[in-house]
Amino acid sequence: MKAKSMIKILALTYGLIGILPIFVSDSSIMMRILTMILIWSVVASCWDLIMGYAGIFSFGQVAFYVIGAYSSAILSVSWNVPPIIAVFMAGIITAIIGVLVGLPCLKLAGPYIALVTFAFQLALEPFLKGPLGKAIGSGGSRGIISVPPIEIFGYSFSSSELVPFFYLAFIMTLICSAIIVVILKSHWGTAFLALKDSEDFAASLGVSAFKYKLLVFGITSFITGLFGALYVHYVGILSTRMLSMEVFTVLLIMIVVGGIGQYPGVVLGAMVTVTMNELLRPMGIYRLLIMGGMVVVVVLLLPDGVTGLIRKFTAPKFRRKTGAGSLR
Amino acid sequence: MFVEIIDVIISGLLNGSVYALMAIGLALVYGVTKAFNFAYGSFYTMGGYFAWVFLVPLNLPGGYYTVFLTAIPFLFVVGFFLEKFLVAPLRKRSDWQMKAMMLTLGLALFLDIGYMAIFGPRLKSLPDIVEGTLDLGQLVFMKQDVVIFILSITGLLCFAWLLNNTRVGMAVKAVAQNPVGAQIVGIPKDRVFAATFAISTIMVGIGGILLSQKNFVNPQASTGIMIKAWVITAFGGMGSIRGSLYAALIIGMLEAFVGYYLGMIHIDIAVLTVLLITLAFRPQGLMGRE
Repeated sequence: MKAKSMIKILALTYGLIGILPIFVSDSSIMMRILTMILIWSVVASCWDLIMGYAGIFSFGQVAFYVIGAYSSAILSVSWNVPPIIAVFMAGIITAIIGVLVGLPCLKLAGPYIALVTFAFQLALEPFLKGPLGKAIGSGGSRGIISVPPIEIFGYSFSSSELVPFFYLAFIMTLICSAIIVVILKSHWGTAFLALKDSEDFAASLGVSAFKYKLLVFGITSFITGLFGALYVHYVGILSTRMLSMEVFTVLLIMIVVGGIGQYPGVVLGAMVTVTMNELLRPMGIYRLLIMGGMVVVVVLLLPDGVTGLIRKFTAPKFRRKTGAGSLR
Repeated sequence: MFVEIIDVIISGLLNGSVYALMAIGLALVYGVTKAFNFAYGSFYTMGGYFAWVFLVPLNLPGGYYTVFLTAIPFLFVVGFFLEKFLVAPLRKRSDWQMKAMMLTLGLALFLDIGYMAIFGPRLKSLPDIVEGTLDLGQLVFMKQDVVIFILSITGLLCFAWLLNNTRVGMAVKAVAQNPVGAQIVGIPKDRVFAATFAISTIMVGIGGILLSQKNFVNPQASTGIMIKAWVITAFGGMGSIRGSLYAALIIGMLEAFVGYYLGMIHIDIAVLTVLLITLAFRPQGLMGRE
């Protein structure tokens, strides 16, 4: 996708989300949904960056999100760090852990990386619940109950004031989305794609797999950790339930619905998925059944997600003509 | 002290033998089809529920004989058609391995929640396959453990025979070595893919029937089992069947000893640490080829 159309779609989607609170600021449910769309869209974008563009089968995205949340919560509760500083420190801590997880993944082939990163997520829960986690202040299986809200110049962005927090998250989202677009359209993004298509060939042209793979791990886990931290100061409570398969699958659906490696698509995917997840909530256990079934159906029927569908309908006519020339 | 260590070793051997059955199925399916099956653990639970339905609410005559005789064709059909309708259509697309992972993850969630919706969240206990104990002086074995061990070893031997001595097995090996070459000499590649998937489903389903007697049938056990099978296959070398066998026994022992001396909560961390250290020095696993 060209940078221009990428920015156009992003501006349209985020513009729409940014305007909506003016109309729905009375409804707390709507505000919560909108805020969650912002947070998840960035986390899912990071996953798309590492998986769809860099071609690394990283399944540790939820783990990085939770690490960001926990480090910020522990810093602000146990160490009395002001939340606004704790959020950024959490991003840096997550980036360091992301690079550490990325290091063994450099030598491994595709599916092994999926396994190591996924196992990392599964080992995180017993770690946080166990004595080691309690020692660093994770609160064990009870979790952390009273995380202070973010304060900027004495003004607190708590979960009781939904609209201000929404715009805080909105600004962060815009900044991070801009960073992602810049990365994708700079020579870094090209290097990621080159490494994905053929690592040997890219290396022969002087693209350092070592550098770029660690870079993508570092950047995506930094942004993910940042938003994990933002989220925990917003809801105020935190437990290891965030590490459940449910959260993981919801994130997976966003990227599947949006299309893998179709960048702004994942933002649309986040909008659809978060809204649907909330609408289906009264269905109880069947919500997850539907979500799981949806992944299967969408992967089978929409190879490039919503983005592929939109492109099919908006594709200029002459392109179809050239397509007809080749053997179809 | 001595008796305790023997007990731990036995529990390690027992778990290890069933893990071997499951991990070898996974090594096979990955080695042949190159599809990363995240729904693998859900078939383990499926095996458990299948046995439970037959033994407890229906209480069919023949007990476990009936269960095994019906479970094998049932699991074969399930695995065969899942591959045919869900995984095979993805094979022609770009990034198909990634899409196969995502699809099977969705399928795993669908199946696990489906079990919970049908059977309720409560754990189901299966009756013991054989009652009673075997006394050897100070050592006391449960007959059930001995039977589970023998059955899983028999399953492994059957599998080895199937792979080495039958035409199906040879076709599977040929496709694993070179899919295009196999197709040129007239091996129906797509059917072999589906058959491999089906065989691996049988192996993990049988593993579920065997191990659920000791650990209950739990709709939430799937992820753990899937990861365990994957860890063992990666540890042994993806696609290497012999490697998976050794790795399963090592991981089984490791779990038993860590669980006994350090506590159950450390098992996952210990297993992951061992996996990471192994992969750091041997990225292809214990016996895998580059």
